[in-house]
Amino acid sequence: MKNKCELLAPAGDLERLKIALLYGADAVYVGGPSLNLRANAINFTLEEIKEGVKFAHSINKKIYVTVNIVLHNEELGKIENYLKELDKCNVDAIIASDPIVVKMALEKTSLKVHLSTQASTLNIESCKFWKSEGVSRIVLARECTKKDIKDIIDNVDIEIETFIHGAMCAGYSGRCVMSNFLTNRDANRGGCSQVCRWDFNLLSESKKNIRGIKPFTFCSKDLSLLKYLKDMIDLGIHSFKIEGRMRSLYYVATVVSIYRKAIDECYNSKDTYKYNKKYENILRRCANRDSVPQFFNGIYDSTCSYYNGRVEVSNQDFLGIILDYDKDNHKAIIEQRNYFKKGDTVEIFGPNHKTITYTINKIYDIDDNLIDVVRHPKQIIKIDISNYLEKYDMIRKKID
Amino acid sequence: MSKILTIPSNIDEIEKTKELVDGFIIGIEDLCVNINMCIKEDNLSMLNDLANKDIFICMNKNLHNNDLESVKKLLIKLNNYNIKGVLYYDVGLLNIYKSLILNYDLVCFQEHLTTNYNTINYWYDHGVKYTYLSSDITQEEITTISKNTKSKLMVNMFGYLPMFVSKRHIVKNYLDYFNLNDDSKINYIEKEGKIYPIVDNATGTSVYSNNILNGIKFYINIGVEYIVLNSFQIDLDKFIEIINMFRNVNRHNALEYNDKINSMFTNVDNGFLNIKTIYKVKNNEK
Repeated sequence: MKNKCELLAPAGDLERLKIALLYGADAVYVGGPSLNLRANAINFTLEEIKEGVKFAHSINKKIYVTVNIVLHNEELGKIENYLKELDKCNVDAIIASDPIVVKMALEKTSLKVHLSTQASTLNIESCKFWKSEGVSRIVLARECTKKDIKDIIDNVDIEIETFIHGAMCAGYSGRCVMSNFLTNRDANRGGCSQVCRWDFNLLSESKKNIRGIKPFTFCSKDLSLLKYLKDMIDLGIHSFKIEGRMRSLYYVATVVSIYRKAIDECYNSKDTYKYNKKYENILRRCANRDSVPQFFNGIYDSTCSYYNGRVEVSNQDFLGIILDYDKDNHKAIIEQRNYFKKGDTVEIFGPNHKTITYTINKIYDIDDNLIDVVRHPKQIIKIDISNYLEKYDMIRKKID
Repeated sequence: MSKILTIPSNIDEIEKTKELVDGFIIGIEDLCVNINMCIKEDNLSMLNDLANKDIFICMNKNLHNNDLESVKKLLIKLNNYNIKGVLYYDVGLLNIYKSLILNYDLVCFQEHLTTNYNTINYWYDHGVKYTYLSSDITQEEITTISKNTKSKLMVNMFGYLPMFVSKRHIVKNYLDYFNLNDDSKINYIEKEGKIYPIVDNATGTSVYSNNILNGIKFYINIGVEYIVLNSFQIDLDKFIEIINMFRNVNRHNALEYNDKINSMFTNVDNGFLNIKTIYKVKNNEK
């Protein structure tokens, strides 16, 4: 095996940044105050980026900032100053797709540049071009197969990053502007309204309705490459990227911790490493759509499509997050996220200990009164537990 | 005035319009998307019949490694024909082009990514002398780009506009999944009374706008090398009429022609020529 790969996680805010890094990500990517493809997310201010960098670097980890919109004339005047500000924040790299951002970052700042998947890089010649332009890493298009990736790594000496988990676009990144046409929101400037998740009526050439049990949609299942993790490591991919800057804290913690464990097990046991079905079950349960390997194994037929009439299951596995632990009284202080009750068997997971299976026997409210159920969102409660727990540990329903 | 290019739908249309237009955009089979008429490598000789026209060959597919060899061979072979340029999307094609000595130019046809003059100049500095502008920018943006670049520009002025390209076979997948039969060469998707053409073929799936772009009233002052008229899904007689209006339009009759085109179809608009897209829908900037 080659050098250990990087596990790269999304972070929508400072709390998720810390969670992602504490749960095992080697690096996080975040959106700054402007010029990124999640214009409608709560993005980081420059001050928050600085704080995030300080935190990441203090534990020897990295932070990348997305500057991946397609610029219009009106944004040209903003870009140089913004890049210089990011440079001052000491971020480890920016992720860019517009070539003028790439050029300006390399000429006017000391920033490293990762080429965004928005550039849809699929082949050796494109990689050679971008390497000659000075980018230090290429995030390959999600349409790449295992063979595409191998051929690129074998022929171009540049860091390669690929997606390993998360939502998929239905079209090539950068080539879908359905959002622009149907909602006037610019997909390539961060305004994507996810028209590909809508239902449509499909009509024949003679404009007759063609209707299956569920309506027509472009919607794709999510990506999960856990099953192919060893293959990906053997290919020599430098960084494995988890999609989802708008995902929840629980999602980030769960997905990062599973891939962290799997990657470490794969490196530690090498020849004996085996795909762990339970890990897949945990990943499946925290997503709201089914997931498949998508293009990696060359199959992108109807098994990759998601026909569920827009019914996306809201995850209720996440029961609470540990705020603190009272060592003297062996009580964990918890903020509720979903209903649970006395007698429930739960799993407690965290960055610094193995998953604990535990049956809740006593629950107290904030005033130490015994209660039987925890039903109020964000209710602060305590449970008796002798295992030492840490802030940011999480409780979920038991998963078989 | 700009020169007129069309994206023809078939040979018959080329024959009937070649005296009316300055040139054509023709695709290469299996290497292009969103182009109505694609020819096989074996049929390149037909280009000799169009020697007095500005011919642009389109190879705007996203390229995988296994496409690269055939792209290289074609780029070399095309040097034997009197073409003006090759339209590309994938930067891999540019990298191959740079390694060769060829008589024709390249056209950056990165659809929705050619939206500002600095990016266009970046590609120009890499030897790309033409740019096909994004269909989702305004006339004002086009004019600003035109004033700030040496690149020769192409811009859509009439026709359905491509708005989605995927490697996936999205129609076929749906039919397969629900065991449905349909052998349409073109389908439509409908939402809230609006109908969008969708084409699922060997290279994947493309979707087009529900409205036909009519840019004739913006044409006079647009200041680009070529305007492009697309005959996709347009009746040939009507298309010829439209070409003639674009040939004869001037500042006195522009509004009359604009209304005339609008009256020929029930689904016409000005695309994004006079509408800015937005991207921030709530004020959460800190």
